[in-house]
Amino acid sequence: MARKMVFIDTSLCTGCKACSVACKAWNDLPAEKTQRISSYQTQADFTPNTWTYVRFREEYKDNKMRFNMLKLQCFHCADPACMKACSSNAIYKTETGYTLVDKEKCIGCGYCVANCPWGVPKIDEATNKMSKCTGCIDRVESGIKPACAQTCQPGAIHFGDRDEIMPQAQARVAELQLTNPKAHLYGDNLMGGTTYVYLLQDRPDAYGLPLNPTTPISLTLWKDIVHPLGGIAIGASAAAITVGVIVNFVRGNYANRAKIIAESHDEGGK
Amino acid sequence: MAKEVYRFSAGERFVHWCHGVAFLLLLFTGLGVLVTVFQPAMNIFGGIQVTRNIHRVVAVLFTLGMIAGFIGKGVGARQMRRWFKDVINFRNDDLAHAKNFGIEFFGGHKPFPPQGKFNGGEKLNSMFTILGTLCIVISGYIMWLAPSGPSLLLQWAYPIHAACALFMTALLIAHLYLGILHPDSNQALKGIFTGWVPAKFAYEHYEKWYNEEAKETIKG
Repeated sequence: MARKMVFIDTSLCTGCKACSVACKAWNDLPAEKTQRISSYQTQADFTPNTWTYVRFREEYKDNKMRFNMLKLQCFHCADPACMKACSSNAIYKTETGYTLVDKEKCIGCGYCVANCPWGVPKIDEATNKMSKCTGCIDRVESGIKPACAQTCQPGAIHFGDRDEIMPQAQARVAELQLTNPKAHLYGDNLMGGTTYVYLLQDRPDAYGLPLNPTTPISLTLWKDIVHPLGGIAIGASAAAITVGVIVNFVRGNYANRAKIIAESHDEGGK
Repeated sequence: MAKEVYRFSAGERFVHWCHGVAFLLLLFTGLGVLVTVFQPAMNIFGGIQVTRNIHRVVAVLFTLGMIAGFIGKGVGARQMRRWFKDVINFRNDDLAHAKNFGIEFFGGHKPFPPQGKFNGGEKLNSMFTILGTLCIVISGYIMWLAPSGPSLLLQWAYPIHAACALFMTALLIAHLYLGILHPDSNQALKGIFTGWVPAKFAYEHYEKWYNEEAKETIKG
């Protein structure tokens, strides 16, 4: 199946949070008590039962206020750090471009939580499993829009095959750049290319997004260097002692040892 | 009965076994999370969620036991502190001994300068063990107790914990060989159970220590 893409056009977002509600409805996630965080934001972060929420930033310029509103969810990276960090091979990629977790395999170790550059995965303490946006995989692989896109009133969330949506996204950026040179795409070339791609109207940090999200160096060191080197060290050690036993045997040191000990008994030590 | 000298006090033996048994239990219970293919083996202890908890309980006992071994005025604690001071004091005579390591390891022999209570090879093993233990303990508590979320502290604790576990296992394999399988050095094996080692062996391997201290304890 072709690689999918979800294009989120922040210039159309009205911050209504219907996406967050639709996500809970479709995915059967219980509502949680919310509180005002800042501006119109009522969710501080992802939780095991909140897979998408809207972040609000108020920007004041020339006596005008602008909302930087951002609907957040898993980016579904092509090269996800969570998958590299997973201790249990529980995280996998679909050919449609989604990053999913096999709950049967997940042990709740939290390595993904620590290594996602966007802080998306959360561990559900009740089930001891990682929980995050699935991209509505059951819908999208049947050709239906994800719940958030389906419900979006202003039509800010576009879903389709990557080949079709990407040119539309680029055309929309070009259109906006005529009046706002800061308009740009975010995600199309990050972490191997994310499935969820944003149109931002300002620098990523104005939305509270990292400028250059990457796989942590510590994770690469851990999985690509420490693990193979450690394995080599253990193998080398095991090989050395095997050779050691053989060489000692061939040299007659085991036979001598019995003799030496017998002698020391006779001498009564030194 | 061959003559013997007293090498390890009860306190030293306690810390050694506290470390050794805990290391093996921690290694086994940690393998399920370190390497995916070992996960089915965790069923021996009731599955991976059980072994993850055992890992934490053993870690606490292991840390407390070792710290306790160094505290107080008893003979054992004084000997543990002496061991620490001795092994971090690495001199030319120790280097001369350590250089022979490869030869002795494969059953050869080359003369080396008289050694103190801990010879050059043992000092290196001890220093690696001290460093590895400190790093694995600190990174382990960070992994356990640090707030969940993408933090540098947590991200760096993982490779450090894994590196210590893997390299200390490599060291342990060599240590088991020298203690149990090596025809010369395994004469000392008794020492870590009873405290006593053959006098002739002590003289040949730790001449300085033998003459300055061990000689006085001779029995048999």
